[in-house]
Amino acid sequence: MSDDRPWERWLRRDDIPTDGPPDPEPPPWAGEPARPAPGQPAAGAVPRPRGESADAGGETERGLTRRSPSTSTRPGHSASRIWTVGDVTRAMREVVRGAPAFRDLWVEGEIGQVTVSAAGHCYFTLRDGRSQLSCVFFRTQRLGSPFELRTGLRIVARGRLDVYDAAGTYQLYVESVQPAGFGDLALRFEALKARLAAEGLFDAARRRPLAPSPRLVGLATSPSGAVLHDIQHVLRRRWPLVRVVLAPCQVQGDAAPPTIVAALGRLARWRDPGTMAPPDVIILARGGGSLEDLWAFNDERVVRAVAASPVPIVTGVGHETDVTLVDFAADVRAPTPSAAAELVVPSRAEAAATLRAVRGRLDAAVERSIAGPRLALTAERRALGRLHPAAVLAGERQHAADLLDRARRAMDGRLAGDRARLDRAADRMPLLVRGRLARARADLGSTGSGLAALSPYATLERGYAIVRAADGHVLTHASGTSAGDALDVRLAQGGLDATVTSVRDSA
Amino acid sequence: MMETTPAVRQDQAIDELAFDAALAQLGEVVARLETGGLPLETSIALYERGVALHARCARLLDDAELRVQRLVEDAGGALRAIDLTPDDPDDEATPSA
Repeated sequence: MSDDRPWERWLRRDDIPTDGPPDPEPPPWAGEPARPAPGQPAAGAVPRPRGESADAGGETERGLTRRSPSTSTRPGHSASRIWTVGDVTRAMREVVRGAPAFRDLWVEGEIGQVTVSAAGHCYFTLRDGRSQLSCVFFRTQRLGSPFELRTGLRIVARGRLDVYDAAGTYQLYVESVQPAGFGDLALRFEALKARLAAEGLFDAARRRPLAPSPRLVGLATSPSGAVLHDIQHVLRRRWPLVRVVLAPCQVQGDAAPPTIVAALGRLARWRDPGTMAPPDVIILARGGGSLEDLWAFNDERVVRAVAASPVPIVTGVGHETDVTLVDFAADVRAPTPSAAAELVVPSRAEAAATLRAVRGRLDAAVERSIAGPRLALTAERRALGRLHPAAVLAGERQHAADLLDRARRAMDGRLAGDRARLDRAADRMPLLVRGRLARARADLGSTGSGLAALSPYATLERGYAIVRAADGHVLTHASGTSAGDALDVRLAQGGLDATVTSVRDSA
Repeated sequence: MMETTPAVRQDQAIDELAFDAALAQLGEVVARLETGGLPLETSIALYERGVALHARCARLLDDAELRVQRLVEDAGGALRAIDLTPDDPDDEATPSA
């Protein structure tokens, strides 16, 4: 910077009143059309040295603007001194650099002519109906751009304004570019939301309940992100009974929406080879990111595909605070991908508790339902016992006790080892009983259930029969019947419909 | 021969039942048993079935291992599923965030 700062002297000399800042409001260069620049923006570097001159031809001697200090509206200074060109340019640069609004600004416009230098720097103009603005997009920033600039594109360029001394022009030094409209994503979001809501895509009545315990979960997400891992982790911990079928898709960028739509379509078309059933539910998930990162989930095509899915969809997009339009169209919105996984399956711990409770009811119910028959069986056995040798009866009693032991164990669910216990019990049995018991044991099969032993039919296997009167009650006394009565005789294998021909009263 | 009751006949299928189906059937069995008034034979058969259903459910809960597959669409549009090894961050074909 030169020590000679004539503009400062000028400012001092004009004795700027405190209510009239040196930078007039609005600044004279704002809102004022620059002179149309038919050619390239000035080439060569501006504050930074550059090695080449990018543009060929079109370089015109452009005045800065019509508002050089000498034509300023500010009174009383115009003829007071003669400025050098450099003075003017430096003065302009200082003013431009001194304006906070110019240090970081967003400019929307249509790209005019574009030139890329051999070094990779890009020079272009942004224009609207009346004006244009020279822009410089250096190589480093340009290579980080999501798209190449070309004539006709509407973009929003972000950068700082500065003056290029050599050409006497001001330029936008671009840091980043985005397609026009990204600056007002929220507006677009609201507009699309309102339009789709008016169509009824977001109606609560459209939302379907989820299967309480899905067998097959469809998953539409990136195959390479952490989301897939997280969801698998949750499902493995919480409900590993489920099967997962992944339809990979891109979850970010302009190319993502069609892949998401395709993935949802594949999942809906998929039929499990075993059950021929489609997925019970689809999880559409993506990890956290910026509003722009998540934008694919605000894409109209994606939202419509979610709304139209024949399979219920649970969305888990971004973090808890992120809301995308697919969330409105989904059957259930989960705050995160992991939460979506939690939500679609039941809990293994809760299921185990339910199972224990049902088992308790089962055991209690069967206890009650066999209490009566068991009493009858005991009476029957007592009656039969009178007809048997004492030694056999003792064995029978022991066996009966053993059966009841086993029944209790069955009730406790401790079935393992029953066979070993049965074998030990058999060792204690009289030989006569042991043979019959072996047959009963064979009938137990391999189920491990002790219930066969609980049944009175185990007794029938030993050659006994249960005789019931027509009303179903078990007969223990002949005196309760008379000739001609119908009897139901239950044998170990099948039964008999019998008729009493005569009654023998026993003592 | 002792007639085969429906309860017995279904035993073989129990090992094929999904958890929720087995649990639902177990619930029905319990409800029938709790109603009472059943012939002993029916009670026992129901109980045996209940025990088998319970065992099926417990086994599913204890032994299940998450299975993850990945859909692949061939040129003709037909879909097939290939196993994804656990937590295999598969795939360079569909890059994304």
